[in-house]
Amino acid sequence: MALGEQTDPAPAGRLINAEGDRTTRARIAILLLVGLYCVLCAISLGSGASDASLWDVVHDWLRPGGAGADVLSQRDRVIIQDIRLPRIVLGSLVGAALAVSGAVMQGLFRNPLADPGIVGVASGAGLGAITVIVLGGTVLGPVVGLLGIYALPLAAFCGGLATTMLLYRVATRRGQTSIATMLLAGIALAAMAGAFSGVLVYLADDQQLRDLTFWGLGSLAGSTWSKIWAAGPIIAAALLATPFLARGLDGMVLGEAAANHLGIPVQRVKNAAIVAVAAATGASVAVAGGIGFIGIVVPHLLRLTIGPEHRYLLPASALLGACLLLVADAISRMVVAPAELPIGIVTAAIGAPFFLWILLRQRGLLDL
Amino acid sequence: MSIETRHLAVRIGRRAILSDVHLTAQPGQVTAIVGPNGSGKTTLLKALAGDLAFTGDIRINGVALTAMKPWQAAVHRAVLPQSTALSFPYTVREIVKLGLMSGRSGARDDETAQLPERALARVDLAGFAGRFYQELSGGEQQRVQLARVLCQVWRPVLDGRPRYLLLDEPVSSLDIKHQLIIMNIAAEFAAAGGGVIAILHDLNLTARFADHVAMMHHGSLVAAGPVAEVLTDNLVSDVFECRIRVSALPAGGMPFVLPQSAEI
Repeated sequence: MALGEQTDPAPAGRLINAEGDRTTRARIAILLLVGLYCVLCAISLGSGASDASLWDVVHDWLRPGGAGADVLSQRDRVIIQDIRLPRIVLGSLVGAALAVSGAVMQGLFRNPLADPGIVGVASGAGLGAITVIVLGGTVLGPVVGLLGIYALPLAAFCGGLATTMLLYRVATRRGQTSIATMLLAGIALAAMAGAFSGVLVYLADDQQLRDLTFWGLGSLAGSTWSKIWAAGPIIAAALLATPFLARGLDGMVLGEAAANHLGIPVQRVKNAAIVAVAAATGASVAVAGGIGFIGIVVPHLLRLTIGPEHRYLLPASALLGACLLLVADAISRMVVAPAELPIGIVTAAIGAPFFLWILLRQRGLLDL
Repeated sequence: MSIETRHLAVRIGRRAILSDVHLTAQPGQVTAIVGPNGSGKTTLLKALAGDLAFTGDIRINGVALTAMKPWQAAVHRAVLPQSTALSFPYTVREIVKLGLMSGRSGARDDETAQLPERALARVDLAGFAGRFYQELSGGEQQRVQLARVLCQVWRPVLDGRPRYLLLDEPVSSLDIKHQLIIMNIAAEFAAAGGGVIAILHDLNLTARFADHVAMMHHGSLVAAGPVAEVLTDNLVSDVFECRIRVSALPAGGMPFVLPQSAEI
């Protein structure tokens, strides 16, 4: 081609669409996720060890005391209302909390590898929870007595908050977060929390040991309404606060200085994000134990499909996180039925290879 | 109405990076900050942008910078960093749109939706809106950031007050055509009543586009004034520590390419 003949070439490379606007796509995705979530709830409600089916449940609710009132036995009704329903509610809350915590933390650290489970926040929260489980009956008795059912989630929240703040302090210098430092500091913090937890486990009696082991693996098996009342408000508050962080987190992707130039009160956004992550992670860990990788898998998948804008990423993460945890819970109940696998094992089995895949894809981008 | 510093000093640890800088950048002018590496140019710009703790006084249109909230400062000035790396797959449009976050672009409501495209067209990136930022070259990324910055202060004068562009080496990774495009944007912004403060390494671009030159050396402002007064043999030779003759033709007919002789 001779000089001067060149027309302005259409820019080569991948195009999302000509406008680069993924708003419509994000809205459709959120609607689809709402639908998927409803379907999964319905399936979970109608399936389990008891043979009460979804149809029976609906029938029973629609016509209480009517002609079909004896479709469900009293026992089935208890199973539905006090076993399956709380399990769905708690699973949804925990899944949403973990996924949103991951998304917020990744926005805060400007890196897709930041996840409360990986960088030690969950371990810190775990330490807080273990402290209450082991010492709650003795040394901390008065405090725990005063706080009642909130003692466990609050202790986990404090543990998570302390770890997140420490991590941010260590990994961030002059507004720049070093990813290598963050991951390594996360390992160190997790090890420290593990050491303290180890001491407490050593002090625990037999019953506490059993509790700790199952709790540590992560499980929704003990879902009760009282657990929901304990953790639900904390998780709900954290989740409802995150949409207000969306704009700030979007600005933060350019770095703290640039976010400040855009008019974002950076310090305030950071503080709020850290508290929200600690609250959501802490409360989840307190009621469901160590369920890993939801926070890294969910936001990553969503960024690939609807883009990284937090306005859509955060609500979509909450929905997909809840969906994923309901699925993982179903798997954990099915593979070794009638017994059940701790759900943490299922999420780790799915999530850990996924994490490696992200690492491989990112290799070269990270200067580790 | 100007950006003005008095007795501006910045220390990092015990080291004085800037001392006693009196700089005035008038609206309607392109003010170029020049000087050798490590002379404090970037520190000066960062202090003006509000990134660094400083002593002394910085006033933007008469208001002390320290008294401004981030969102108030964002109305008065926009800042182009040297380079910006992202770790998430944003499209070009999504990045440019971040400039609209402060909500005071000054564009009419019916223009705002199209502003990212118009800003991209101005930096010669029309059609790039749907591309992934991370897949662009360094020079293209720099121009995307400029488009974002332009969105933030689209109208150079808002509510009767001039607004400012703070540009940290805006042309450092650009070819000559795009250097001219970007500098023309700066000149147009100034001509429309806004102010521009730009760190420039290229003294020829400075000579062509700057209305006012501030020369930094060892953390002090050693000269400030019109191009002809600052770019003199003695001053340039002293500050850049080599013998330089301004406006002298190279010996022996060696070719040279100057932005002064280029048009787009």
